[in-house]
Amino acid sequence: MARPAEIVCDALVIGGGAAGVSAAVELARAGLRVELAEQRASLGGAYHRQPSGTTATTSARGRRQWLRLTAGLAHFAIAPRLRHVFLGVDTDGLGLLDDREAGRVRTVRARALVVATGAVERILPRPGWQLDGVMTAGGLQMLLKETGEAPPGEILVAGNGPLNIALAADLVRLGRPPVALVEAGDPAKNLGAALRIATFPGLIGEAARHLARTGFAGTPWLRGATVTAIERDGARLAVSIEDRRGGSRRIHGDMVALHDGIRPNDFGLPAVSIGEPIVVRAGDCREVLGIRGAEADGIAAAREVMALLSGTALHRVAPEVSRQRRAQALLAELFRPVREHDGLRHLPDETVLCRCEGRTVGELRAMLAGPDPIGLREVKLNGRFGMGVCQGRFCADAVGEIALAARPDLAAGPLSRDRWPVRPVSIAALAAPDESRGE
Amino acid sequence: MAGIIGGKSVVVVGAGIVGAATTYFLSKRGFHVRLIEASAPASAASGAADGAVSVASKRPGPMMTAALRGIALYRELEREGLFAGLFKSRPTVMVAENDSEVESLLGHAAALAGEGMRLRHLEGDALRRRLPGVAPHVRLAVEVFDEGHAIGYEIVRRFIAASGVPVERDSPVTGLAANDAGTSVAAALTAGGAVEADHFVVAAGGGSAALLGLSEAMRPRKGQLVVTERAPALAASLPGSLMSCRYLLSKDAIRTAGEASGRRFGLVIDPLRTGQFLIGGTREDRDDTGNDHDAVGRLLAGAVRLMPALARLRAIRAFAGVRTAIRDGLPIVGRVPGFDNLFAAAGFEGDGICLGPLMGREVSRLVGGEAADLDIAPFAPGRFERRNLVA
Repeated sequence: MARPAEIVCDALVIGGGAAGVSAAVELARAGLRVELAEQRASLGGAYHRQPSGTTATTSARGRRQWLRLTAGLAHFAIAPRLRHVFLGVDTDGLGLLDDREAGRVRTVRARALVVATGAVERILPRPGWQLDGVMTAGGLQMLLKETGEAPPGEILVAGNGPLNIALAADLVRLGRPPVALVEAGDPAKNLGAALRIATFPGLIGEAARHLARTGFAGTPWLRGATVTAIERDGARLAVSIEDRRGGSRRIHGDMVALHDGIRPNDFGLPAVSIGEPIVVRAGDCREVLGIRGAEADGIAAAREVMALLSGTALHRVAPEVSRQRRAQALLAELFRPVREHDGLRHLPDETVLCRCEGRTVGELRAMLAGPDPIGLREVKLNGRFGMGVCQGRFCADAVGEIALAARPDLAAGPLSRDRWPVRPVSIAALAAPDESRGE
Repeated sequence: MAGIIGGKSVVVVGAGIVGAATTYFLSKRGFHVRLIEASAPASAASGAADGAVSVASKRPGPMMTAALRGIALYRELEREGLFAGLFKSRPTVMVAENDSEVESLLGHAAALAGEGMRLRHLEGDALRRRLPGVAPHVRLAVEVFDEGHAIGYEIVRRFIAASGVPVERDSPVTGLAANDAGTSVAAALTAGGAVEADHFVVAAGGGSAALLGLSEAMRPRKGQLVVTERAPALAASLPGSLMSCRYLLSKDAIRTAGEASGRRFGLVIDPLRTGQFLIGGTREDRDDTGNDHDAVGRLLAGAVRLMPALARLRAIRAFAGVRTAIRDGLPIVGRVPGFDNLFAAAGFEGDGICLGPLMGREVSRLVGGEAADLDIAPFAPGRFERRNLVA
């Protein structure tokens, strides 16, 4: 049934970072009518986003890339729809955008969608991770970018991966070195990976600069160590840290920034589809490749859309994408946690798992331990895991992992189906008269 | 077959609320039950229902009688502890927004009162005091007491856990095999082989059509619903579920202007125990479980018109379920003619949560060789011509 839509175009691109802008420009270059939707008030994505009125902290290469991409938008007169949050695709095949400026949901009839919603941080559950004063390292980094200063108090940075080092360096730059940088991996010992990664000059250069800055500020870099618990201790937080030999120590701080790597921001998004509306993904949302892979992958996604629209299948080949894939694999090896991943078996039962609904690891294990072999959807509905405001965005992976550890026979599958709205949306916006309905 | 029942075996097909209840009551009677489910418990209509345990929307007749008994059983099982914490007792408040709705509501209230339902009319100041969140244009409210709400998948889980019967998941029953004489069902056929038993109960919702040869009589009726974020104060301001009179019209299959597509809109705003609101629903002649912006937008526009403060909340989830409707609007409950050991309970359309436990108990009586405790003659499976029953 073809319901009328408010916006009609050939391709709707979701996400105004490097991958989305590059896809939009490439599609326009091919003569397609393109709409570009960005949830924030400005384009740029995680990498190119800058606080207004400041000079960029990105590299000269990054600035050149962004100038090139935005020039493309201007050349093809693509006016991005800012503050438009993508809600999903409905059963009539309509793309839904929550226009936060106008306070209404707009429907889009597009022959193809390019989803380029970037990456999100992976945060592993830990006892105390739900406490006030605990935030994600990426969230804190964004706060630093947007306000130009660090929040008050002592900050501990913990988890896994290069972003934590970058955050520590940013804090040093602002004169507020973290009390400790706790890293599950041991990149200093992983020489093989470090040497091979040197063939990707951009990556190693940045990391080395960050490390030098952090080291000179006297921040202890605890490698092969993990945060096992965060507890409130008066007005402060007490962080328990275990080293690779099982020794433990406690460090106090006012704020804890956690980060365990990044993953595609694909939660609840419509599945990739070769039938109309065609759905393809681009950039970190498809595969985490970082900023250097994003532009190339956006172009590849656009070409894939054009091929599908003309009825031919196209094998996506982009040399830069392959190169960045190798770089990411090396980074992962460099930062590989010293301890084997144990499917979250180590988590104590009282650990809060679903923060929206306050459900714990123990409650999940108890549900799975019964004689009736219940499945994941039953766990979700009856245990309320992933039933809160975030609909599982922050706990679905951990719920799946703990469930599988407890019951290896469970059929692996998503905790949630891809349904719209993928984000909470104001009822007023959904109920607003739809101009296309003639109301 | 009557007499000794201990140790007799029953296959129940379908782990929705009706099959789960049947399993529970049969187990209590000492039957050995195998509960065979095509996918997972409460995975169809029972898991996507609005949860109304309600008489308010029924017309006098067999369905109203059954609904009254259904609510009584919920209260009984709550007292016994089986439904502890799962049944929320609350009134249903039916509201009329214009002249024709007032007329229809007054008539309906009179019919409900005539059947002995406790209710009261609310107008003017009394209406504003009782329902402070309801829009000023609402003309008349009728508060129907002694109703309730239960979440289908929670009831299903409770029944199954209490029965101690493991659910045989992902195991569609593809057919029923008769014995040589053709007088009894010998086995239920699954991919894992034929499952023999003394008795068979088909409670498979829409999946019952093929097994019972009733495809002509059964049809899917999709309903879309929306869940909001928590808003405990606003939810507490509603004494019970708010039901637009349009719901009655929707049930009567009167089509809204411009909806030639077989899509009708009812409107129920239900404050849940969690402080969230459940807002439903559509009645559509289709069997997919997706949501479309048009339907969700219209539903929510209606909800905001009735209760303006809802506009400030966010919707966190939309979902849809497919009810199984029967051509004449009545479910199918009873022994299937031609077979002495085959029983059916399906086709409750939007009333499965209210009637499921009751009908499960009734079927368990039939299987046990007793007479039903309720007049189920109007629901007799034999009232339709059947095709292709039993392999």
